[in-house]
Amino acid sequence: MKLALPIFEIRSLKHSYAGKTVLEIGHLSIEPASIVGLIGPNGSGKSTLLKLLGLIERPTHGEIRFNGRAVEPFSDEARFLITLVPQDPFLMKRSVFSNVSYGLRLRGGGGDTSDRVYEALSLVGLQGDDFARRPWYALSGGETQRVALAARLALKPKVLLLDEPTASVDSASAQMIKEASIRARNELGTTLVVASHDWQWLYEICDEILHLFKGKIFGSGRETIIFGPWQKLEAGKWGKILSDKQQLAVTPPPDPAAAAVIEALSFCEEGSTIAGEDVVLKGTVSRLNLEKKTGRVFATVLAGDLPLTVRLSVEQSRERTIFPGESIHIRYRIDQVRWI
Amino acid sequence: MNFILEGFFQAFNLLLSGDEETYSAVWATVRVSSYSIASSLLIGVPLGFCLGYFDFRGKKTIRTVVDTMMALPTVFIGLLVYAFLTHRGPLGNFALLFTLPGIAIGQTILAMPIIIGLSATAVESMDQKLRITIMSMGANRRQLFFSSLWESRHGILAGGIAAYGRVMTEVGISMMVGGNIKWYTRTITTAIALETNKGQFGMGVALGIVLLTIALCVNVSVSFLRRR
Repeated sequence: MKLALPIFEIRSLKHSYAGKTVLEIGHLSIEPASIVGLIGPNGSGKSTLLKLLGLIERPTHGEIRFNGRAVEPFSDEARFLITLVPQDPFLMKRSVFSNVSYGLRLRGGGGDTSDRVYEALSLVGLQGDDFARRPWYALSGGETQRVALAARLALKPKVLLLDEPTASVDSASAQMIKEASIRARNELGTTLVVASHDWQWLYEICDEILHLFKGKIFGSGRETIIFGPWQKLEAGKWGKILSDKQQLAVTPPPDPAAAAVIEALSFCEEGSTIAGEDVVLKGTVSRLNLEKKTGRVFATVLAGDLPLTVRLSVEQSRERTIFPGESIHIRYRIDQVRWI
Repeated sequence: MNFILEGFFQAFNLLLSGDEETYSAVWATVRVSSYSIASSLLIGVPLGFCLGYFDFRGKKTIRTVVDTMMALPTVFIGLLVYAFLTHRGPLGNFALLFTLPGIAIGQTILAMPIIIGLSATAVESMDQKLRITIMSMGANRRQLFFSSLWESRHGILAGGIAAYGRVMTEVGISMMVGGNIKWYTRTITTAIALETNKGQFGMGVALGIVLLTIALCVNVSVSFLRRR
């Protein structure tokens, strides 16, 4: 059986702005027709990665392969197949119709583009008759975002890159943007790469989630990252004093501002046996998420005001009923704290 | 005070009766400013766009030179063009001194730095998101270049209007290079200067009104085009 080529493959990529490295990825491959989510704090490199995948910028070092071939900005093999909706979409100083048909006209071939334009507008919930002739300045923020997406959907792309597509729109627009993106994947086999702070949505739709931090991919996004500053606690330990006066203990940090990753957080019953290296915290369940790919449930637990992510196996979630608002105990091994 | 009011009455009388001398100056102004603005736009817009669009060594120096030239005094341009066009000058053989094309050359030198400078500024201040948008739609380099030019049209148009205003209202070049010859190289501004010196306020005011009307027409047309 012949294995399908990854649609994207990144090798030894390093990207810098003004000499400062903002993204460093040793290897990454993205399967065709998959949905990949990018999560991470602001400045973690999500938008940069999308711009590189969208062939807007050329990586400082390394290469990006698309369908097995090395590509760069303006590559003929890829420029008509990949499209990016930036975080703050921009409409050209033209009518909505001209904006949506712009990419189709770039592809030449003449012909009437009206059907494709009206179809794309309807995909994002905009009535073509009402919107097509409107000028660029007569749209709300949500409508602008939807027109920008329609302009990309009209191209029936192989890859659709979305940078915070729902960050600055109302809930109705956000819903339509989400539905239109998923429809593109389901109906056209479009590969989606989505950067978003809407974790719940990403965990619902994504086949894979990549967690970026300080320009590096380091996990699936289910890790709990806790940022410094750290302080010395009693008995030579290091950690943080949470808002409810509990102590979050860690191994000595490489520097007081380092970020700690706690991966193996688990629930524990009150009064259960605690080993010497275990740290137990009391918290309140604030949210439950289902990971589509594995069927596992993730609970966000607030210890003081610090959110911690606890992973439950399918069996655990069957055995134990957990509900938001429940007060529970969680534990982790202090020697499993990782520094980044 | 009466002489000003009389000037206005006389002005309307001259305009409505189609006074030949008045309309000769208007026509000379329209012709010469059209020549100069057309040549300035043809040369200045591509240069201004390239100056704003591309990064290259010496760009800052060129910007400084262009910005400085935007403030060139008209009498200085008049002096230089006169020196070049006079029969002793390097371009004396072309017999352009005291002709409308001669004035147009001087006015082109006046208008071009304005168009280059303001076009470059318009392109430089173009939203970076525009480049991302155009590239993300699949544009090649040539399409990116022309789409960017089209998107910066409002800023370039503003540069054109600023240059047109400067050309229409300048006196120094028209006076020195054109010689203010009646029926031939007398423009609105040189006629106003001359008629005012003669105490003929009527014609001065009439020509002033025409100048304002032209400015109004240009601005209304541009504001209409901006909405397109």
